[in-house]
Amino acid sequence: MEGLAVARSPVGSEREAARGRGAGRWPFWLAVAVLVVGLVVTAVLALVSSGLYARNETRLLELRARDVGTALTAALPSIQTPLASAAELAEATDGSPAKFRQFMAPLVGRGGGRPFVSASLWRASDPGQGPLTVVGAPSALASRKEEAQPFLRQAATSSGLSVIGLLGGPSPRLGYAFSARGPFIAYGASALPADRYAPVQNSSTFTDIDYALYLGDSTTRQDLLFASVRQVPLSGRRRTVRVPFGDTAFTVTVAARGPLAGSLPQRLPWAIAIVGVLLSIGAAALTARLIERRDENRRLYREQRGIAQTLQNALLPAALPQLPGMQTSARYEAGAEGVEVGGDWYDLIPLGGRRLLLVVGDVSGRGLKAATMMVSLRFAIHAYAVQGDSPAGILAKLSDLVSVSTDHQLATVLCALVDVDTRKVSVTSAGHLPPLLIANGASQFVESGVGPPVGVDRHASYSSTTISAPAGATLLAFTDGLVERRGENIDIGLERLRDRASTNHATLDQLITRVVEELRDDAAQDDTAIAGIRWVS
Amino acid sequence: MGELDANPAGRLTVEIANDGDGSAIVIVKGDLDMTTTEELEARVDPVIQSSSDRLVVDVSGVGFADSSAIALFVRWASLVREIEIREPSAMLRRVIQRMGLADRLEMSP
Repeated sequence: MEGLAVARSPVGSEREAARGRGAGRWPFWLAVAVLVVGLVVTAVLALVSSGLYARNETRLLELRARDVGTALTAALPSIQTPLASAAELAEATDGSPAKFRQFMAPLVGRGGGRPFVSASLWRASDPGQGPLTVVGAPSALASRKEEAQPFLRQAATSSGLSVIGLLGGPSPRLGYAFSARGPFIAYGASALPADRYAPVQNSSTFTDIDYALYLGDSTTRQDLLFASVRQVPLSGRRRTVRVPFGDTAFTVTVAARGPLAGSLPQRLPWAIAIVGVLLSIGAAALTARLIERRDENRRLYREQRGIAQTLQNALLPAALPQLPGMQTSARYEAGAEGVEVGGDWYDLIPLGGRRLLLVVGDVSGRGLKAATMMVSLRFAIHAYAVQGDSPAGILAKLSDLVSVSTDHQLATVLCALVDVDTRKVSVTSAGHLPPLLIANGASQFVESGVGPPVGVDRHASYSSTTISAPAGATLLAFTDGLVERRGENIDIGLERLRDRASTNHATLDQLITRVVEELRDDAAQDDTAIAGIRWVS
Repeated sequence: MGELDANPAGRLTVEIANDGDGSAIVIVKGDLDMTTTEELEARVDPVIQSSSDRLVVDVSGVGFADSSAIALFVRWASLVREIEIREPSAMLRRVIQRMGLADRLEMSP
């Protein structure tokens, strides 16, 4: 069990832990961000649309107000023309009441589009005398002398239509006087509704608005002539225009009864808001779902990787031999795509006479096929070594187990036979990278003769190179995953390892941990095995 | 480099030519890892079995080759009389040398 713990990669565990922490943080902030951005965009669009609607409505109301003004202005001739003609006729007939009555009769009365309810003829030089004659209803002007005198005097000197509002009393009137500075003043009065309420006729072109018409420039209740609603002043969005009329003016206030441009532009901001909110929620939900799936994939990947690592650990030595005077340590690290087992291995085989065989090997390819070949080679080496074969003999015999022609596989293997007491190290390589010897703060590769990888040649023979390790020396054997990077010469990777491994570390475990941590490319595809021994001085 | 640029990592292209005098020429472009090596093997194996006593593998367009690719080259070497690994990159050449295979996989130039 202790060996398994040693074989576990601390680097790997830390990386898993870091990922675990990442996943532990609430992962849906991105979905919330999408929702917030969506809602903000929706709000902006809805506000812009609502602003455009309001501006458009204001503009349309303005146009309607002008239309009302135009209609009022157009009504002026229908009042002024008959009065002008009557004044002229009176002058020509020297104020004949009969002629006046005869002329005005068709224009006076209630209903039938007649403009006046009452008409009368006055002498311009002396209006205080009262009317010369009256047609239709009794003249309200005649009974209100104190208002009538100044009005008629003014009308006598005016060249245009003079207007007076007789708004008090039970039958309010609007009076018009015309003299054209002649000797007679023709006067007509139209009736105003007593309650000032005159609803818009359905046939009118103004059915979409309410209005209130005032005499003069004020918009107070007492100057109100009539309105299409009982409650004045008008409420809501409204527009006021001043329309000159005779010697005075009307003030017209209009208000829209509903959306003037139709209901679609009015509903558009709401439609945008509803659709936008729904889309935002949908996008946020989709984002959340994708995040969930990503996390799920990460979890599955970690799980598979964990299975591969566990299986690999099961295939590797369960425990490393402990020898007095020696430290031993080893690691296996799956590649970045390590969701399947690899063909890299290490082994430390205790032999008689305080000797150790340090083995590191690499079967080409990955997956179950590579792993199976790895296991058979590992156990074969074990068996041959225990039988007493030399490393060169062992490697030669392995050629009977694997052949590149039939298995489509080959294996590089490094054997280092270590004599613990004499510190003699005999290195034999079947196409494998050389081991690194670290001593006295310096390190160098033990370059031996390199024979072909196992599986290439049934008749291959191998030679061994023997060195003497200094006291306290460390020997590291490893597979190419530790030093190889795509697009880089392998010699550069080896040099990097030599450089990093020279640093002093208290224990062999720490050294191996550091070397693996610093050298392995995080994106490394290949798996890595590394094993080492150290003489404790 | 132009050829490498035209063949981004992971995408493999293989051209096979027979020059009539018993030589098969295989032009490989792309990275050779375990997956692409299997693809290369499937494409080239029938050609070797049917002919050639001499095989030229033009790897000038190969950026990276792992041990499974080298295992394939070695296997091909055992099938034909003569093999030539043409224009390997410095990286590939060094890996072949490091694996003690330089005398079995003739490299040119």
